[in-house]
Amino acid sequence: MKTESEIRQTLREWIVRTSGKIRAEELDDDTPIIERRIISSLQLTDLILMLERLSDSPIDIEMLKPGVFRDINTIYRNFFEPARA
Amino acid sequence: MSKSAPESTSEAIFDPRVLPDYGWYESGQSALSGSLLELYRRIDNMFLKWASECQAAEFFFPTFISARELAKLDYFRSFPHLVTFPASLDAADDNLKRFTEGTPLDQEGGVHLTALDPVRNVLTPAACYHFYILFQGQALAEPRYVTTRATCFRRETHYLPLQRQWNFSMREIVCIGNSDEVKAFLGRYTEKVQAFFERIHLPVNWVNATDPFFNPSKNPKFLAQRLDPVKTEMVFRTGLAIGSVNFHRNYFGEAFQIQRQEQEAFSGCVAFGIERWIFAFLNEFGPDQKQWPDLNTF
Repeated sequence: MKTESEIRQTLREWIVRTSGKIRAEELDDDTPIIERRIISSLQLTDLILMLERLSDSPIDIEMLKPGVFRDINTIYRNFFEPARA
Repeated sequence: MSKSAPESTSEAIFDPRVLPDYGWYESGQSALSGSLLELYRRIDNMFLKWASECQAAEFFFPTFISARELAKLDYFRSFPHLVTFPASLDAADDNLKRFTEGTPLDQEGGVHLTALDPVRNVLTPAACYHFYILFQGQALAEPRYVTTRATCFRRETHYLPLQRQWNFSMREIVCIGNSDEVKAFLGRYTEKVQAFFERIHLPVNWVNATDPFFNPSKNPKFLAQRLDPVKTEMVFRTGLAIGSVNFHRNYFGEAFQIQRQEQEAFSGCVAFGIERWIFAFLNEFGPDQKQWPDLNTF
């Protein structure tokens, strides 16, 4: 089981690698990755697949609420926090 | 750029076809005269007045948009069901001769076409596209505020007078700038339009919406819009969207290399479907123009 900081680091590296639009030092945990289109709509599907692998649990796209991928903080809260049902 | 919620409602809908100042074509088009044409002008003049509050420059655009430019937006994959093309016959003599010597129309009124010229244009599907194409490659020293009214063309499965038309008038007020400039613009106009609805007592709700993508479940852009709503519609009580506020993020800035402060520009627009506003007025205030709100005061 990865720690919180390992998960956040993995997310950060994936976003930087996938986007190609932002350097690691420019990406904070509250940088809005969808609004700024750091992650494009085409890459959103890859993000969901990556989160399924990292959290080891399936994501039901139909159940996703607006804003769940806003930034790394939001993604961590929604998909990795221990309280997640 | 607006898509409406279903028009179905249990309430009676006023049918403008009973009015002498209204004409309806089954092809999904309206003719206006007299009081309705005056209402059309007054509504649009009010939008223009609103646009002048941000010193928006007014533009007049042609009806065609280059297909090559529209393809930069992936338009043909996202909205093939809406698009309308201007077509003309291949001008070769033998082709024109074949056309004139054939039967021009079938029994349903369809034209028996012979060979066509290559189709390189599209009839304007949304008013604000013209701006991004016109400003492409520019670096903006300051935010740009612009407005236009365009006749927009969207093919639909069915048409309803004033509510759902193949061609209709769209007035847009647009901001192209950085993210904060565009958000401030959209916030300001959302408040302004909402205050207007309250003052004239027009029952309108603001509802998050998505663009009407073809095959949405297979389109990642639809998923992106659902997860990060960028379109809010002004939905009249019958369920009809009469306008929308749209935050495009830097989508057009990227597609057309428009820069602001050395980054891809952001953009946003406030869009009004004028025939739908007339529909809302007729339904809310009735067909007697003496009962309509005085729009000169807004």
